[in-house]
Amino acid sequence: MTIAGRHKAAAVLVALGVAGAAQAQDGPPSEWLDKMAGAVQTASYEGTVIRIQNDKVEALKVVHTVTDGIVREKVIVQEGNGLEIIRNGNEVQCILPDKKSVLVEEWNDQSALFSSLPAGDIRFGSEYDVSIVREDRVAGRKTVLLAIRPHDEYRYGHRIWLDMETGFPLQTKLISQEGEAIEQVRFADIKLGGNIHASALAPSMSTENFRWFTQPKRTVTPIVDSPWQSDELPAGFRVVSTHEENLSARDTVVTHILYSDGLANVSVFIEPASDRKIAQRSSVGSSNSYSVETGGFSVTAVGEVPAATVEKIATSMRPN
Amino acid sequence: MNDAIKMQISAFVDGELPQNEAELLLRRLCQDGELRQQAAEYMAVGRIMRGEKIVVGMAQLRERIAAELDDENVQLDAPEAQAAPARFARPLAGLAIAATVAVVALLGLQQLSTGPADTGGEAPAVAEAVDGAYTVPQADEDPLRDYYQIHNASASYVGAGSINARLVDFQVREDLVLSAVNAAETVEADAEPADDAETPAP
Repeated sequence: MTIAGRHKAAAVLVALGVAGAAQAQDGPPSEWLDKMAGAVQTASYEGTVIRIQNDKVEALKVVHTVTDGIVREKVIVQEGNGLEIIRNGNEVQCILPDKKSVLVEEWNDQSALFSSLPAGDIRFGSEYDVSIVREDRVAGRKTVLLAIRPHDEYRYGHRIWLDMETGFPLQTKLISQEGEAIEQVRFADIKLGGNIHASALAPSMSTENFRWFTQPKRTVTPIVDSPWQSDELPAGFRVVSTHEENLSARDTVVTHILYSDGLANVSVFIEPASDRKIAQRSSVGSSNSYSVETGGFSVTAVGEVPAATVEKIATSMRPN
Repeated sequence: MNDAIKMQISAFVDGELPQNEAELLLRRLCQDGELRQQAAEYMAVGRIMRGEKIVVGMAQLRERIAAELDDENVQLDAPEAQAAPARFARPLAGLAIAATVAVVALLGLQQLSTGPADTGGEAPAVAEAVDGAYTVPQADEDPLRDYYQIHNASASYVGAGSINARLVDFQVREDLVLSAVNAAETVEADAEPADDAETPAP
């Protein structure tokens, strides 16, 4: 190619790039979020997820299908004990190959509890600034990068790379108030949509001589309201649902109130206080919890929010 | 991370990097946390793409960097730490086993950290444990585990942060199955007569 030809080609590429950026930035960023919310609930996919947290990296093979609203999923840890988790609707099998063991859990249908939620009511409020940063590529696919910045210290920021075609999040980064990445999740490779054969969802090994454990089935009952409420709820959080969870393993009924600001969710669990003490603070992955006893009840807040948020919510819960 | 570093790391893991270059590489990895993370991610992706499960040089790499850093967090990944008592925190620390590459085991292995309050309680008992049979674990020893699970089940239907919730759920489930297995093994061990028990005199 001549120099003039190269310049011409470069000019075309630049023009295409600008056109692509303009396309991605057409319309408000919230439309991308709506697209994403729909995609994560309905997309079928198969791929490898890399998760980075606290300088620790792990890889997971994931197969996920949604057919007629029923979710089937297989997740395999690629290292160490090779844990496999297989979900078929409401039944979940956790297979630990090196221990030749399987734990079976069964839940009642949770989707029915949330499917009636008005989507517009649980989308983003004014607690975040959402902006389109640029176009990018993840796992070989075109993406649009969204930056979601919180206005206060009660929630994390997000960077989300959404598949340009489907709105599916191919990469997410959870950002602390100090600007540090708390957790990153990224697809190294992904096949979105298309036919995923049923065999891809089967256990990758025979479990014939494995030891099987069962967890007692959990049941969830929606309740209209609860006397409990927070008298100092961080701005933007709203009650999304209130349930009673029957934890038959502990012969306990727990009131569960789910708060959301449209992005971050916090659950509050209330049960009569007992001798069985609950750790005041804990964290798992990007989630934190805070537990306090008040008026003969144990109140625990859990969510993918900073520790200060779960503490504020747990300590502000009062019965009317 | 440039291609030269990537090639060096691959060569080291394969045991093909000359000694002097290996020393330089280790020094860089020890001094540069960002590079460690990039290297870890690079190796994770590469190994998965190649379908590899075990890489011999990884243990050596971990030991060398651990020795250089003298970081107490490294001890969390030691085998003896994995055999800690069967409590809620222990199996989650066990997730460190699943860390994709050894260098990333240098930091942040304790997935669940609890505050000053003591959770109390003993390891969960298991009614019976028979190979190939269903076993029902008895009452869970820590309500927090239930709470995390219930929250994650709900959160996966609400808002845009459901992927993070599902990953947390993944960790909790690993904890559950490990607890059940450990408890079953404890029951089995208790049920077996001690090898050195004295035989009563006839």
